[in-house]
Amino acid sequence: MGQIIETDVVVIGGGMTGAGVLRDLALRGIKAILVEQQDLGHGTSTRNHGLLHSGARYAVRDEEAAIESYRENLILKKTVPGSIEQTGGFFVKVPEDDDSYIQKWLSACAKVGIPVEEIPVTLALQQEPFLNKDAQVVYRVPDGAVDCFTMVVDVVADAVNHGAKALTYHEVVDVITEQNRVTGVRVRDGFTGEEKVILAELVVNASGPWGAKIAELAGIPLRMINNKGMLAIFNHRINKQVINRLRMPGDADIFVPAHNVTIFGTTGINVEDPNDFSLHRQELEGMLAEGKKLIPSINELRLIRAFSGSRPLYQESTVSDASGRNVTRGIALLDHLKRDGLDGLVTITGGKLTTFRYMAERTVDLVGEKLGIKAACTTDQERVPHRKAEEFFKDVDMAPAARHKLSHWAGTKAAEIELSLKEKAANFVVCECEQVTWAEIESVIPAEGRFHLGDIRRRTRLGMGPCQGTFCNHRAAALAVEKGKATSDEAERSLHHAVFERKKGMDVVATGETAKQMQLMDTIYRVSLGFREGDYQHV
Amino acid sequence: MLELKLDELTFDKCLKCNACVSSCPVANTTLEFGGPKHLGPELKRLMNNQGIIDDKRIEFCTLCGSCDMSCPENVHVTTLTAFAKAIHSDKSGTKFRDFVLSNAEWVGKLASAFAPVTNFAMGMKPVRKVMEIVMDIPAERQFPKYRFHNFNRVYKKKTASTERKVAYFAGCYATFNAPEVAMSFIKVMEHNGIEVVKPDQKCCGVPMFANGQMKQGLKNANHNITSFLEYTRQGYDVVLTCTSCTLAFKKEYVSFLNTEEAKELASHVYDADEYLRLLKESGELNMNFAPMKVRAGYYAPCHMKAQGIGNPAMDILELIPGYEIQDVGAGCCGQCGTFGFKTEKYDVSMAIGRPMAEAVKEVDADYTVTECGMCKNQLDQLTDKTVKHPMQIVAESYERAKVLS
Repeated sequence: MGQIIETDVVVIGGGMTGAGVLRDLALRGIKAILVEQQDLGHGTSTRNHGLLHSGARYAVRDEEAAIESYRENLILKKTVPGSIEQTGGFFVKVPEDDDSYIQKWLSACAKVGIPVEEIPVTLALQQEPFLNKDAQVVYRVPDGAVDCFTMVVDVVADAVNHGAKALTYHEVVDVITEQNRVTGVRVRDGFTGEEKVILAELVVNASGPWGAKIAELAGIPLRMINNKGMLAIFNHRINKQVINRLRMPGDADIFVPAHNVTIFGTTGINVEDPNDFSLHRQELEGMLAEGKKLIPSINELRLIRAFSGSRPLYQESTVSDASGRNVTRGIALLDHLKRDGLDGLVTITGGKLTTFRYMAERTVDLVGEKLGIKAACTTDQERVPHRKAEEFFKDVDMAPAARHKLSHWAGTKAAEIELSLKEKAANFVVCECEQVTWAEIESVIPAEGRFHLGDIRRRTRLGMGPCQGTFCNHRAAALAVEKGKATSDEAERSLHHAVFERKKGMDVVATGETAKQMQLMDTIYRVSLGFREGDYQHV
Repeated sequence: MLELKLDELTFDKCLKCNACVSSCPVANTTLEFGGPKHLGPELKRLMNNQGIIDDKRIEFCTLCGSCDMSCPENVHVTTLTAFAKAIHSDKSGTKFRDFVLSNAEWVGKLASAFAPVTNFAMGMKPVRKVMEIVMDIPAERQFPKYRFHNFNRVYKKKTASTERKVAYFAGCYATFNAPEVAMSFIKVMEHNGIEVVKPDQKCCGVPMFANGQMKQGLKNANHNITSFLEYTRQGYDVVLTCTSCTLAFKKEYVSFLNTEEAKELASHVYDADEYLRLLKESGELNMNFAPMKVRAGYYAPCHMKAQGIGNPAMDILELIPGYEIQDVGAGCCGQCGTFGFKTEKYDVSMAIGRPMAEAVKEVDADYTVTECGMCKNQLDQLTDKTVKHPMQIVAESYERAKVLS
């Protein structure tokens, strides 16, 4: 029998919803532990557009989702400013789109209260030169871009700062029940294999597409619709603001700028397995054909990779809609005592990245009610620390581009990184595409020394640029060994995993330059570094 | 705010392979330069649709074009670095010295007007010491001499009536420092029955691009394009004797301006030896060369290599009976136009130039042949060999043949 930990609430799932729930619990003074099977945000939370909805996309079809989105849009801009770029967004009508939708959309937006401003097409084209010259009408809405990597990490860090605990790479292997009551979970440490028991008054299932699996462990039926969407990343940032099609929401009609790239998507196919992250060339071809209507030169623009993730959609009565487009994006909060007669378990699912805070608020309201704790939600006011660090790095000898990145990125770690840059001469740029210095990499390696290039990538953007880690992954691994941050076995294992994972995303878009980039990567890793297929098992 | 708009998408193709970095003369000499990959395609990508990033290290880029030649993906690296230079001077201002150096034509006019005084003063140590202190121009650096009888004073022909007609762009160096090169070219053309005119022209803009004076450079570019198109549209060919000016006409005007006019003009532009080679290929070249018993070393300027037309000077000089010419096979000279005149770049300039000096010494020819006036300046300072422009040699051979017959 392993370690036994006691707490008030266990939150299962380190995605955006779980992170939000953990922070809300912590701010209300409720003891809580979050458990995540892999890294924070490894699932749907970092496998999306990163679109901060203004609600305009849902205004016609799903008024409730639109209302929630717009309200949360305003709140998140205030409370998580470090992870949001207030880009604004365009809704663009191209000749293929139905004329009658415009009026419906305008009155739906007006009803919800979403500010919509018409922009002369010529002005829109000036701002976004890649946009279709045949665009007929353009409206501007307060859409934004979310960095979901930093947002999930920052929200959890703030929760931890307020007394919560987070265990990553801890998979729930059992939900412990006594009679009709959930009393805790059994988790397994993915690195050591050690099992731990966490006992709690209440368990919150916030595991997104894995929700049904957790329910199964608790012995109750839960039918989720896992709706897989594919997205592709352009090599560079092709637009200043979000670009949407002005039509009923469909496939491949959103372009969201994300720092130095643009993310384009998406599709929707229902899948059984939450671990299904498969990518298909045909699906991409379909997306490009559709995307061409907004961005006519789309086929000449280089794509660096594609990825997929599943939307965890929930509808009490099962519908047969393979595309999942007509299932609500609304929030599903299930009290399993009422629903299944099982006490001590709550499931929060559905919803949107944009509405994660509100989902958490409602969940913790229910938790408080069940635990008899009266504490009001403050996450609509209390700010997660900003990422800006402009007062730092001014007199550090480093590439201006790397300094520029850190001044928008370092946040609460700025002082530590600045010291490291100065004292340890850690100012050399390891990842050139995204300007990541060694000091920054070092600052995100956990104190217990667990070395994982994927975790570093999500926290620093290492290897997210055009070369996809061709040059920086092995540099980072070698430096980690040299500086005593990883054993050579750990570094090699992580390097294999990182290369395998990068190649998977590149493979599906590998035409033109990206095909050449892959060959270059292959040559460096196979010929120069002696990698062989099957050296390590990839999970 | 910088008003320059750059429709340049080739940065999208960069594979980060570092071919440009390993071929960059500056990056191979000093770590103070961020390298062509970072300051070219990488920086452009990091700024695209986002904020401007000003990187002072761009001052170390000489716009030599070695990166462009080495890139397997045909990324227009120097177009991107030239714009990074423009951003830098827009954000951080331009030193008075760099402003002066970028105005080579203006300096040339002034220096030429007082040529004897200028040359005398430039040879005086105290004067040079003051220049070093006030202007940051190193006292040890040799300067080209200025001529009172500059090319503008001696040649004013505006129309030609021969079948082939040449519109000649002399460039600041041949105009103010080496009118003998310009006159040799005119003689060579005369020997081929081709009349040469000198259309209205301004400095090609290369020293301006190199010092971040992009707006002024493009103004000059547009002036020259308009002026020379008037001639090409009447059947003139545009020929130049300076490799840097030639590269500007062929490549930089097109990639910086991206106009139809720039493209139209570029299709009529030839380096002088390239033009002679063309005449040879079409059987029009006067082959009446007097033999010359010379063993010469050819030094290819970066801006000749960057034109991607081989070694036309060697192709032509080899036609002279008895003339032996060998490529010294050296890289960049390190003078790099105005670069080598700057105190803070001087050590790098010398370090780049040394392997070239070694190569020239090793070949130990009678003299060195090169087209570029700035490369000549560095060769004059670092080697003890005389330096000649190929047109001077071709002209000499033709003249002797005329005397002999």
